[in-house]
Amino acid sequence: MNETTMEISKLIPIIAPIFVIQLILMVIALIQCFKAEETRGPKVVWVLVIIFVNLLGPIAFFLFGRRIKA
Amino acid sequence: MNAGKLLTLVQKEWLELLRSFKLIWVPLVFVVLGIMQPVTSYYMPVILEKAGNMPEGTVIEIPLPSGAQVLADTLSQFGVMGLLILALSFMGTVSGERNSGATSLVLVKPISFGTYIAAKWISMMTLTWGALLLGYAASWYYTWLLIEQVAFGPFLLSYILFGLWFTFILTGTLLFSTLLRSAAGAAFSSLGLAVLLSLLAGLMPKYLSWSPGSITGSAYQAVQSLEGFDALASFGWSIGITVLLIGAGLIGSAAMLRRSPALD
Amino acid sequence: MNRLLQVEGLVKTFGTTQAVKGIGFNIKEGRCTALLGPNGAGKTTTIRMLTGLLKPTEGKIEFQGLRPGEDQRSLLGYLPQSPAFHNWMSGMEYAVYAGKLCGLSAGEAKSRAKELLGRVGLADAANRKIGGYSGGMKQRLGLAQALIHRPRLLVMDEPVSALDPIGRREVLGILKELKEETTVLFSTHVLHDAEELCDDVVIIQSGQVALQGSLSQIQSDHRRPVIELKLEDKESSMEWARSFVERHQTDDAWRMIIEDAHLEDRTLRLTVLDMEKARQALTEELAKQRVGFVRLEAGYSSLEDLFMKVVGA
Repeated sequence: MNETTMEISKLIPIIAPIFVIQLILMVIALIQCFKAEETRGPKVVWVLVIIFVNLLGPIAFFLFGRRIKA
Repeated sequence: MNAGKLLTLVQKEWLELLRSFKLIWVPLVFVVLGIMQPVTSYYMPVILEKAGNMPEGTVIEIPLPSGAQVLADTLSQFGVMGLLILALSFMGTVSGERNSGATSLVLVKPISFGTYIAAKWISMMTLTWGALLLGYAASWYYTWLLIEQVAFGPFLLSYILFGLWFTFILTGTLLFSTLLRSAAGAAFSSLGLAVLLSLLAGLMPKYLSWSPGSITGSAYQAVQSLEGFDALASFGWSIGITVLLIGAGLIGSAAMLRRSPALD
Repeated sequence: MNRLLQVEGLVKTFGTTQAVKGIGFNIKEGRCTALLGPNGAGKTTTIRMLTGLLKPTEGKIEFQGLRPGEDQRSLLGYLPQSPAFHNWMSGMEYAVYAGKLCGLSAGEAKSRAKELLGRVGLADAANRKIGGYSGGMKQRLGLAQALIHRPRLLVMDEPVSALDPIGRREVLGILKELKEETTVLFSTHVLHDAEELCDDVVIIQSGQVALQGSLSQIQSDHRRPVIELKLEDKESSMEWARSFVERHQTDDAWRMIIEDAHLEDRTLRLTVLDMEKARQALTEELAKQRVGFVRLEAGYSSLEDLFMKVVGA
């Protein structure tokens, strides 16, 4: 028992990279979202999805968010 | 096939992957998925303890999985989320250009249809194998850090086998993208193929050991086996058939493109 | 004069409909040829077969001077009606890309691209993304990329019909210069564009060649004297016109001098055999019958009249 609680303090350096990468993904998605001429659905919704839906939000935006003009 | 023109087309595809940020976000997502697997495996007992309102003194018996098991779980995670992301990223690779009319300008240049398809495939594969390597290596490193080291041999072998499975399904995405007008149709056809083959191989492992669907199973087996495991002897048939089908898929894509290079 | 391209018995069938029914024509080196016809006549289908984008059901397309084993596509440059590029590329990047695909070295492609973008007036926009280009700019970039490998034949499908009047003038201006240097074939449904640019025309109608030859030859062959009479908006005058249309072929005196007469709104159009006599007889008739008219004009039939007659519109 005691062993696992101690490991919680070890947790932070281990999961820090995950947060950093997710932050990078979020920033790239937000930049693209603001730059996009037209998004599928309202831009505000996409911004909220990108910020609040962990990992899947930015992925969903990258895959489906932009309407590519021919 | 002209090497200079092939390189020109591949460079164009790479530049497109870079400008659309796919070259950045797809590998990053794979890395996150790769790290998450060993981390959640390791902390699962703690998480369960904190989350559940267990009466005092309950002892949770969840044995820590072996390192090889964690890597196999990572691959299976890539096999769902990773493949979905890659197939959706590439679904419009030919049909999108054909629908917009971009192919009418490119395919009147003196280049062969095979070169055009080959360039698409090479660029798809660089992203696929690269993202898979980064994600899987991250998982390997975290497994080493938190649980135990898995030997390099099984890691590499399972990477190659899984890469082959991805290559097979994504060649299907490319083929369906030249065959169908709808990009979503291409993604769902190839992902449906992946699900079907995996299910069949799981239901009837005895009769379908030669099918590409059994490659994922062989990758899980490869990472959990000892050094010196002979993949070719055990899965030679399915590997050979998969390679042949990939070749056939590419030739088929070029033939489909020749039949309708542009919309009427 | 050298023949550059020879097309014989070209047929294209889509399902059960025959879009092109045995078209044949020649393109002479150094000439500008227009493929002229109304919408749906089979122009685009024909052009796409020339470029190799569409496989002919039947027929022959032969380029002169093609070395054995050489790809015929290396001899031609193609510009579709509304070209689509890759919007994430800049104009310069696309032109270089097109050059390299035609087998130019990287250095050569770059210098050609620079030269051509300057020529079509895109020097300032060369490094901007194509996604932000106007229709006219895209058409001009389309010209630059089609010419990048110095093709022997420039093929264009309705090069100006999707453009606004300004874009149209720009592109027509460039084409006028270009046709001095290279052989050009383009399709159009606008007679005026063909007249402005071309030496030769091939008029097609319902998938068949209706008339072909040099513009000047066709013009002199089919020129007819014409009298146009615009009538006053009065029932008695209109009554006279209607009866005139009916009797001009039965009345012997009129039949000798008037070939054809028809009334459209208030305009009576007479194709005449002998202008001198027709003018005399008509003015007498008008005075005698007290026909009120707004305008009387004697002249020659235009190419447009011929075009309308040929395509049966």
